Amino acid sequence: MIRALALAVLSLAVSACAPVAPYQRGHLARPDMAFEDSPGAAKALEKVFVAKEAASGSSSVGGSGCGCN
Amino acid sequence: MPYRLSPLAAVLFTVLLAPCAQALQAGESAPALGGVEAGRVVYVDFWASWCVPCRKSMPALEALYRKHGAAGFAVVGVNKDVNEDDSRRFLQRVPVTFTLVKDADDGLARSFGVKAMPSGYLVDRRGIVRRVHRGFTDATAAELDEEIQSLLREPR
Repeated sequence: MIRALALAVLSLAVSACAPVAPYQRGHLARPDMAFEDSPGAAKALEKVFVAKEAASGSSSVGGSGCGCN
Repeated sequence: MPYRLSPLAAVLFTVLLAPCAQALQAGESAPALGGVEAGRVVYVDFWASWCVPCRKSMPALEALYRKHGAAGFAVVGVNKDVNEDDSRRFLQRVPVTFTLVKDADDGLARSFGVKAMPSGYLVDRRGIVRRVHRGFTDATAAELDEEIQSLLREPR
């Protein structure tokens, strides 16, 4: 029984998940929490990529295969 | 053997539910707020620069404060920005004259049990929460105006 308790408490304690309260969402908006270092540069690279690949629509960044917009 | 499972269930329940703060409801006493004169009708607003509806709520609250401030209405804006520069930039665009406080340790947000941004708590002259507003639209501003007038009419 004690082992089961210890296991349950331990499994919860080592969990990497932490609830983020609505008022703590500013932490998620920090620049170091972003997937990209520079959103502007990422958007430019994405634009070149979709223009070269003629593969517009695969991401959320707008643009067509002609590379004209 | 269900009686063996019950302590385990109790521990799991306690551990899982411990971080969930109880949201403050209408009819309950509001936590103590510094810097507000006793006997005033107070609207405690939790806001942040990253909160989109706050761009609407802050000018509306400023207008309500200017309208009813002399009659005994006060607004306390509790800022939830992580970066102080963000709130400063926001206030340059949307200047307000009501009381602003910081809540760096989340103590106020936890004691009010904030469940959404923005969240506003309308507190009567006796310190009782009378209305909780989560989110903010033009309709909220109109409702709030009526609620404030009604609370200001109540005796001290």
